[in-house]
Amino acid sequence: MSIPSPASSKGKSKLKEPENLLILASSPHLHTTTSTQSIMWQVVLALSPAATMAIYYFRWPAVVIILTSVIAAVLTEAVINRLKGETLTITDGSAVITGLLLALTLPPTFSIGGTILGAVVAIGIGKQLFGGLGYNIFNPALLGRAFLQASFPIGMTTWSTPATLAGSAVDGVSTATPLGLYKFEHALTGYADLFVGNVGGSLGETSALAILIGGLYLLIRRFADWRIPVSYLGGVVIIGGIFWAFAPNQFPDPVFHLLSGGLILGAFFMATDMVTSPITHLATWIYGIGMALILVIIRLFGGLPEGVMYSILLMNAVTPLLNRYTRPKIFGEVQS
Amino acid sequence: MTQHTSGSGKMVLVLTLITALSGAILAAWDSYTAPKITYHREQALLVAISQVLPAHDSTRTVVLNGQTFYEAFAGDSLVGVGFQALGNGFQGQIRMMLGMTPDLETITGLEILEQVETPGLGTKIAHDPSQRSDPEWFTKQFNGLLPSPELTVIKNATPTHSNEIQAITGATISSQAVVRILNQQIESARQAFRTGSEVVHG
Amino acid sequence: MAKKQISIWQEIVKGLWRENPVLATLLGLCPTLAVTNTAVNGLAMGLATSFVLLSSSLFISSLRNFIPHQVRIASYIVIIATFVTVADRFLAGFFPAISQSLGPYVPLIVVNCLILGRQEAFSSKNKISRSLLDGIGMGLGFSLVLIALGMVRELLGSGSIFGITLLGEWFEPWMVMILPPGAFLTLGFFIAIANWINDRRATA
Repeated sequence: MSIPSPASSKGKSKLKEPENLLILASSPHLHTTTSTQSIMWQVVLALSPAATMAIYYFRWPAVVIILTSVIAAVLTEAVINRLKGETLTITDGSAVITGLLLALTLPPTFSIGGTILGAVVAIGIGKQLFGGLGYNIFNPALLGRAFLQASFPIGMTTWSTPATLAGSAVDGVSTATPLGLYKFEHALTGYADLFVGNVGGSLGETSALAILIGGLYLLIRRFADWRIPVSYLGGVVIIGGIFWAFAPNQFPDPVFHLLSGGLILGAFFMATDMVTSPITHLATWIYGIGMALILVIIRLFGGLPEGVMYSILLMNAVTPLLNRYTRPKIFGEVQS
Repeated sequence: MTQHTSGSGKMVLVLTLITALSGAILAAWDSYTAPKITYHREQALLVAISQVLPAHDSTRTVVLNGQTFYEAFAGDSLVGVGFQALGNGFQGQIRMMLGMTPDLETITGLEILEQVETPGLGTKIAHDPSQRSDPEWFTKQFNGLLPSPELTVIKNATPTHSNEIQAITGATISSQAVVRILNQQIESARQAFRTGSEVVHG
Repeated sequence: MAKKQISIWQEIVKGLWRENPVLATLLGLCPTLAVTNTAVNGLAMGLATSFVLLSSSLFISSLRNFIPHQVRIASYIVIIATFVTVADRFLAGFFPAISQSLGPYVPLIVVNCLILGRQEAFSSKNKISRSLLDGIGMGLGFSLVLIALGMVRELLGSGSIFGITLLGEWFEPWMVMILPPGAFLTLGFFIAIANWINDRRATA
């Protein structure tokens, strides 16, 4: 950004920014607890449609996993606060979000012990080890999920049919996710089922509709940067679309990419994490497209059917670098 | 301190002496350990052969069209043929010893000699600790199978045909890799064994 | 050589904690991270490294007045490589199972900074007896940390220690602990605990 600022040609004092000339994108780690608190609870509210759909589709197991994960996350936060001699930070709601997000990414049949472990790792290693809210490099919920994926590869990939499909019995019927079906059996799932979520999958990822309702609320209230879901989802449509256009028999179409797996959940609620996503606009676009590229490569050519988690974690890791290289020029400073 | 500078003559001399000494130590040590290392390798191979082939009292090694076969005899009659199957798994090479009946139609046993699959998932092709009563259930499935036209992998179900094996949960790719390698190598082994010119070794 | 001579006892003990190769100076992390997925592997790698360290220290210390300064690194590497090959062939000949599970990491001892570092920093400047004591201390310190890492990772990743099952059927092993990320996590916690203990001692 090269905005001429005549007032700044010399002088050590801070530059007065001309109105409406410089686009400012501030880091949103607010330091007043009240604002952080209110944003965090709004995010919880925005997640509630997805959580409700999870409970509707998967019944009691979903309730148990969500409660376990949230309680374990909050307790871990409280214990670490005590150990570090800090004031309790559990009322800011961030641990609740982490616990809730983690739960929504778990398969409905996942064990309670594993859920607790994931929540402890998410808060303990993913967040508090780096210094608490605002200092973590990776999205804590996804870090916890990555730990679980590496620890319990079978438990994390055993899916059960939604109660609405299974008839009377809720558990016991194992199924594959739409992406798993595509990758290993080359079978497509209907868009309608994908959209409302009547498919196998993690608790909160199945219903695109429910996530979109909450996600749009976040965007409208400006708690999430609209550029992230737009660049991520748009990138997947374009990159996935290119592959599909060249070999429609070999690769799934872009709409399938969009609606299946955890893409929409990840794009609205995890990639947009205020702490771990970039600040400048250019960096945000690169961030979104980078995630899209990694996701499509993993889905089409990787050993795993799904790549949302790794695409977000990997781009989280380069976020500081993106911020650094896209930093707007600072005018008015004397060259040393 | 040893920080004095030296002429190049001394440097050459010292390095030569050190490398010569090193060579001498290694030569002596190698002549002592080499037979033991060879012995272990051969033992591992022999154990694998005896495990994949039916009861026999003698074996001999033949090379046909460049491929090595281990023939097992009970008395004078040929009871089984073993050969190594090698190919790419999920992460690296999988090396197996496969035993078959002399007509190369029925599998008599399978042993995984080397694999570097994902610990805890793909490694279950060789050893599955979650099945404490039968950790080698995966390779045991192959006993008695008829790979004609070829072996196939099925998931989450009990095999019903004589050419089917059940995949390991969570390690579909490794399971499929084993079957793919076997299908390829059985085919080339059949060609070599049935048409090959024979070079007999002991 | 104005350095004050420390006691024989301290020469050994410094490698165990204060100058521990893994916890304090972070040397030799490649084998530390790569092979400690079981306690037995940690033990074998610790012993193999200690053997190479001791033998090289003995040789290099004896030859310290003889090796010209300009070719010292080349000489050290030849000597270290010799003993690494001896250790590798020994394991392959007598413990084939361990040799197979350690894979390429035994030959890789040759590039372990711990060994070359001790030769350059200590053996090339000290008497044979001192170099041996230093080697014993460093080797022991290295081995103990590797065994401890192997025990923690094996317990959480396989439910056993030294192959003996300790956690019953109820325990679902944390697969990640026997994979590389588990090595980094465990080592990170080890170093954090060591620093925490040091801090407490310093303030006490």
